[in-house]
Amino acid sequence: MALLVQGEIVSHMERAPGVFMVEFIAPNLATVARPGQFLHIRCSEGNDPLLRRPISIHAVDRDRGRVGILFQVVGRGTALLARRKDGVIDVMGPLGRGFSTGSHNLMRAGSIAVVGGGIGAAPLFFLLQELARCGDPARVKVLLGARSANQILIKEEIENLGYTMELATDDGSVGHRGQVTELLLKLLPEGVSYVYACGPAPMLKAVCAFLSEAGIPGEVSLEERMACGVGACLSCACQVKAAGGGVHYRRACVDGPVFPAGEVVW
Amino acid sequence: MINTTVNLGGIKMKNPVATASGTFGFGLEYQQFIQLEKLGAIIVKGTTPAPRQGNPPPRIAETPAGMLNAIGLQNPGVNKVAGEIIPRLVHLNTPVIINIAGDTVEDYALVANKLDGVPGVAGLEINISCPNVKKGGIQFGSDPRSAAEVTRAVKAATKLPVIVKLSPNVTDLVAMAAAVAEAGADALSMINTLLGMAIDVDRRKPVLGNITGGLSGPAVRPVAVRAVWQVYRAVKLPILGMGGIMTTRDALEFILAGATAVAVGTANFVNPRATIEIIEGIENYLREQGFNNINQLTGLAHAGI
Repeated sequence: MALLVQGEIVSHMERAPGVFMVEFIAPNLATVARPGQFLHIRCSEGNDPLLRRPISIHAVDRDRGRVGILFQVVGRGTALLARRKDGVIDVMGPLGRGFSTGSHNLMRAGSIAVVGGGIGAAPLFFLLQELARCGDPARVKVLLGARSANQILIKEEIENLGYTMELATDDGSVGHRGQVTELLLKLLPEGVSYVYACGPAPMLKAVCAFLSEAGIPGEVSLEERMACGVGACLSCACQVKAAGGGVHYRRACVDGPVFPAGEVVW
Repeated sequence: MINTTVNLGGIKMKNPVATASGTFGFGLEYQQFIQLEKLGAIIVKGTTPAPRQGNPPPRIAETPAGMLNAIGLQNPGVNKVAGEIIPRLVHLNTPVIINIAGDTVEDYALVANKLDGVPGVAGLEINISCPNVKKGGIQFGSDPRSAAEVTRAVKAATKLPVIVKLSPNVTDLVAMAAAVAEAGADALSMINTLLGMAIDVDRRKPVLGNITGGLSGPAVRPVAVRAVWQVYRAVKLPILGMGGIMTTRDALEFILAGATAVAVGTANFVNPRATIEIIEGIENYLREQGFNNINQLTGLAHAGI
């Protein structure tokens, strides 16, 4: 059940060049939102750009009734949204099927790896909030990758939740020089039993390949162009393995955006 | 007391606002935002004889004040629609109209026949104007003789009221409308999307997986209003007008141009309560402007012209 919310903006910050963090008041939304779900946000007041933008839920403060988004400016819609520093934002949500954070994952023997690439770190913070609330941060290893040190997002916030972290950057300006997936490949044999990942498609493709080879389960959050956000328009089709063999299209907006790593067809 | 009921070729609607096919799923997706019973009618996604996977993604592209789509008639097939989906809508006190499509005239007749007598189906909308599939769809929608042939075949296969959805991607829309009227259509719906395309300048490739797609949204509204205007003057069939309706005033343009009822499509994506707001807005307009019957407005802009 999604809500239609006019959320009053209470904070607005440029966290990295072109990456914005916006927090707004939405107590009911904060109560029902689950990690990995997303919001469908109207960026313009008029008819252009026309469509809402799907943006993941970055953080939830249930006590104060606040919801946060962390997004990168990639086009006209997000540029308009970034300029909105106060007033209200028009939000539909929470939408989609998020990460499964049930006890079946937390109770597994071994450790959990949470892997984020670039702006893909955004929804993982909400996941880490939830894992910290109902699990043991010491059993979770966070791996973050980005182009450069100044694009590594929310490092301090994640550390404040009690997690240990490894970083990778393309230019080596902080952490491992190279891909975050290389860190995952090294970590997998050390007793990883479950993996959550969000990031650009090539990164998720590599994550799925590594998991399949190692026989380790996990979940990945996909990104697709969307129109309705509620499963009606069939715009956000992504190819997923069908139960009886073969492949079929599923809707990223309601069947995802989070899918079991073994089901996605790349 | 204001009368907002309209009769769309034998389909009685409590108000003149329907949802446009393809933009509203099977209605169930929007129950979380609106009471479906308040709608004048629900027109559900295009249904074909067999299930269809649809086109490869990306399936949409945003364009100035509009969007392109190339979904490709993804649907579970008529048997599942009739057997599993319509029964979930049958309790609604609002007419459900099924949009039907196919590759051949026989396909259309087959789907129409299978839906004939299914409880909960109030009418059929023949989709002879989908620009996003290789066979069927638009090939019937661009030639008056083919359009008439499909219309006759569907009329022979069902007792349900039959609405024919026309494409704007033709030289002479009035000739198309006249041909399907002659073939026995009970109503017309117009317009389907305009054929369009967008190119990603960075990748130097078409944006859509299907290369071309159908343009909808406010950008197409003047084209749609013109289409309704011209056909209203030439053909005596009730018209379901659509194309970029976002607000009450947009809907009223269509009605004044000659539409008996309107359908709201792309607006649902932006504002899932758009239909309800338009229904209330039309009632307010009638009251404020001193009309007591919505049908007084249909075609009113033609007076004296």
